[in-house]
Amino acid sequence: MNKTIFNLIIIFILLVLAQVVIFNHICLFNVATPLIFIYFILRLPITLSLNWTLTLAFVTGLIVDVFSNTQGLNTLSCTILAMSRKSILHLYFSREDDLTRPEPTIKSLGLGIYIKYLFSSTLLYCLVIFIIDAFTFFNPIMLFARIIFSTLLTFIMILGLDSLLASKNEKRL
Amino acid sequence: MRNLLNFLVRYSSWILFIFYVVMSCVLLFNNNPYQQHIYMTSANNIASTIYKTRSNVTSYFHLRDINDDLLKKNGELELEVIALKQKLRNIGDSIYVDTVAKIKPLSQFDFKVAHVINNSIARTHNFITIDKGANDGIKPEMGVLDQNGVVGIVNIVGENASRIISILNPDLRLSCKIKNTNDFGSLVWDGKNCQEAILEELPRHAIVNQGDTIITSGYSAVFPEGIPVGIAINRINEGSDDNCFALRVKLLTDFAKLNAVKIISNDQKDEIRRLEADGRQNK
Repeated sequence: MNKTIFNLIIIFILLVLAQVVIFNHICLFNVATPLIFIYFILRLPITLSLNWTLTLAFVTGLIVDVFSNTQGLNTLSCTILAMSRKSILHLYFSREDDLTRPEPTIKSLGLGIYIKYLFSSTLLYCLVIFIIDAFTFFNPIMLFARIIFSTLLTFIMILGLDSLLASKNEKRL
Repeated sequence: MRNLLNFLVRYSSWILFIFYVVMSCVLLFNNNPYQQHIYMTSANNIASTIYKTRSNVTSYFHLRDINDDLLKKNGELELEVIALKQKLRNIGDSIYVDTVAKIKPLSQFDFKVAHVINNSIARTHNFITIDKGANDGIKPEMGVLDQNGVVGIVNIVGENASRIISILNPDLRLSCKIKNTNDFGSLVWDGKNCQEAILEELPRHAIVNQGDTIITSGYSAVFPEGIPVGIAINRINEGSDDNCFALRVKLLTDFAKLNAVKIISNDQKDEIRRLEADGRQNK
């Protein structure tokens, strides 16, 4: 258990740092921004109580907001993502007791379900964050493009990140 | 009582969720960038330290372009100095130089140089973080320029870093005028392109040609008059207002390559502010 918490803290620090230092400044074709730090929220063990998940997500969002000067934007989106994470998982995966490991990974869920879970969560996050952002300037085509391409970019980057972390675990075993 | 406790325990996560959502909405809809707390912005100590470290690496990236800009600017200034010297000599020929009143329109302004450590151009509300703060004499509402033109206005000042509202932020309105005709309006960003902004509230009768230079008007105490902001592209027919029209402006500052900036301080700002406040009270 201690090892899991330690791993999570390392992932948290690395992801938030990477997000604010590198990925916040990427904006492909003026539409696609990778929001990789949500991987931390998606990776939290399913057995973790909802209160803890919510609090961790809130804090994560707040820290990213402080660094990128977007007051409350990521905080709200992260809280909503943390609340709906379980429901999204239940859409594709109803037998929670069958889980081999508490964290949602390719190994514990299977590739198909994991990809569906990851994609839906990323889409939800991008939907929320860009719709809130569009309160200032409403431009439907831009909004649509931002949601779609940011979701795709984030999804692909998280998949890549996931394979990096997974291979590391396997070597240890 | 027991029922109440049971209720609270059972729905604790929903209550927590609603609490967090309300908290983030309070943050989100507290739109006024001047009321935000220093710890909630990138000007706080931790964020600025991390950004300074990163900037130590990335500040080398666009040096060649920036150097070219500086050389160009230097050449222009050199030509201006020569022209002014010539003018002064002509005046000296006709009258005694001592009798010419000292022209020092900019003496009330001073500037400090700072480096940009964090910058964004792709959001709807863009801010810039610089590596100088209250310890270096930076105060809120100082104007910020780079070698090409206006960048923004200092917003929140930390000990060793400050946050600037970029022109690429709809919360900032800048009083500007057209260089040749002195018709003035206010410049605001429309969120579409990081190289263009809109000059609004120009009087209908104003004549604007493509390529006219837009400069600061000097009506606010933040910027001195005559700092270049952009170049006129074309008129936009807003249609709603008969007395005014808007102008699309290409910004001279390249926000994607910001590196060193100048922060303008105005000695007379406090005086002007006080006079304005007195005037308002006496009304």
